[in-house]
Amino acid sequence: MSDAFATNVHEDLEDLYETAPCGYLSVTADGVIAKCNQTLLTWTGRSRDELIGARFSTLLSIGSRIYNETHLAPLLRMQGHVSEVALDILSHGGIKLPMLANAAEKRSDDGKLLFTRFTLLEASDRRRYEHDLIAARDNAVERARSGKALEAAISTELEDERATATLRDQFIAVLGHDLRNPLAAIESGLHLLRKEELGSRGERVVELMEGSIRRAARLIDDVMDLARIRLGGGIGIHRSRRASIGPTLRQVVNEMQAISPTSAITLDAPPALEIECDPARIGQLLSNLLGNAITHGAPGYPIRVSAGIDAGEFVLTVTNSGDPIPEQTMRHLFQPFFRGAARPSQQGLGLGLHIASEIAKAHGGVITASSAESATTFRFAMPL
Amino acid sequence: MSVLSRNHVQVSGSGTRAMVFAHGFGCDQNMWRFVAPAFEADFRVIAFDHVGAGRSDLAAFDPGKYANLQGYADDLVEIGEALGVHHGVFVGHSVSAMIGLLASLKAPDMFDALVMVGPSPRYIDDDGYRGGFSESQIEELLEFLADNHLGWSAAMAPAIMGNADRPELAEELTNSFCRTDPEIARHFARATFTSDNRDDLRKVAARTLILQCSEDVIAPPEVGAFCHAAMPGSELVTLKATGHCPNLSAPDEVVAAIRAFV
Repeated sequence: MSDAFATNVHEDLEDLYETAPCGYLSVTADGVIAKCNQTLLTWTGRSRDELIGARFSTLLSIGSRIYNETHLAPLLRMQGHVSEVALDILSHGGIKLPMLANAAEKRSDDGKLLFTRFTLLEASDRRRYEHDLIAARDNAVERARSGKALEAAISTELEDERATATLRDQFIAVLGHDLRNPLAAIESGLHLLRKEELGSRGERVVELMEGSIRRAARLIDDVMDLARIRLGGGIGIHRSRRASIGPTLRQVVNEMQAISPTSAITLDAPPALEIECDPARIGQLLSNLLGNAITHGAPGYPIRVSAGIDAGEFVLTVTNSGDPIPEQTMRHLFQPFFRGAARPSQQGLGLGLHIASEIAKAHGGVITASSAESATTFRFAMPL
Repeated sequence: MSVLSRNHVQVSGSGTRAMVFAHGFGCDQNMWRFVAPAFEADFRVIAFDHVGAGRSDLAAFDPGKYANLQGYADDLVEIGEALGVHHGVFVGHSVSAMIGLLASLKAPDMFDALVMVGPSPRYIDDDGYRGGFSESQIEELLEFLADNHLGWSAAMAPAIMGNADRPELAEELTNSFCRTDPEIARHFARATFTSDNRDDLRKVAARTLILQCSEDVIAPPEVGAFCHAAMPGSELVTLKATGHCPNLSAPDEVVAAIRAFV
């Protein structure tokens, strides 16, 4: 080791103190700044004259000043040193400079406190990072708290909603049932009137009233079915082991043809077709599909019904001409109360297709719809 | 949990008259480690940690109860009752000076003499009153407290707090004297620095000694003078010591002043 090297080390000590990459500060037992290095002066933009002799507390932000008195000073007295303490040092212009401080007491041989020495490190990024962490934790706690509250609120709301829905379905069921009685009374009244001598005008009125009664009865049947689906978990069916379905289909086609004379309805079905099903419900299913075809099909064009056995399935299709069903509409076709772009006079409750699909479901089958430029087809298939 | 373990109450000394030491905001009963032993020959010396500080039972910290100083004063009365303190001496540092004052109003027979070290009945300036701080400065302090968590780690807390009977475990940890759950520290700071007990000063019946430091940013001399004027019959002694903690920085001076008073 050469003398030159040793001399250099010795010379550097003063420079190291002054320009070290950290601030040095010595404070007397009375809290007065006795010495500090150039780095700290540079950081704070203060002059040496300004700092030396000033109270250490004047260099601190108000939060740090109180913290120094309540925590830092007592700790230093009790354990002689403190490390990793956050302090805000005030610059010449009063700007807070976030720092991390280590401090240690320097005592004389007889234990008298001479100085408290501080090493200060710039810690803007670190302190900002810590703030972010604390904010993130507070956010997480807050979110967890509000999440739980929201969950509880939603669950309560959902329960209320369910209870309301059940009540509504029960109300519909009771209303439908009770509407049937007065409707039946009106119908018997009309039967009596039919037997009287009526003028041509009277005949016409009675006819219109009979049509209205049929429509009202159908609406009631539909809402009753809906209530049954909702409350009973599905539409009720009474299966017959070998039901001759042909005559039922024929009868429905004839009835619908009578209501809608403008579109010719054709039926293509083998004469002796026996399947296990609830024939009344299958008739209702066809009636609803036909009602839909009449409402939405192009007026004047034929509606084709075909029924038969195909690959172990009973298949019933209803095809009409007209504008294709938009993609958007397709997805909602079988939902209750869904009504496509029908002309206002044709709007019903929007239950026909829903009930038809529920009847299909109750038979273990399914209704699918396909729509193209030329034709729209609803296809009911049930395994046998 | 009994009151004595809730507040980690320590009793020492061979005297009959009780002298109760209460620490202020910041650290724990160790604040009195250089002062309390001086009175063990003549007094029954009682020291304790406020709930939330030192080795008190953190589970007992109830934000509602400790939202103001009365909650802490109620604890002090319970400790005094549990230990049968009558006509004793109370020594309170910083905010505990007011806590002791409130306790003496609630239980007038408990203390004949109050020693207030660096007391302040109100820290925030008010119309015609100078406490030393503005409201926004106190808010700044509360915010700043979140930046320091000396020796505090949520993961370590249960081990430390749950082992009050094994002090060596806690002592190993640097900064343990001032270790506080940051949330609790903020709460105590708010209760402390927003308190206003100016009207309570004149109700004091016990003899009172005010120990005022010559340089104290938390309780400046004019606040000590205010207390002295508001409590007729009180004694005011200005210490040579500077700072807010003469019990640590100048224990001999504090001991001498208390001894002269009692």
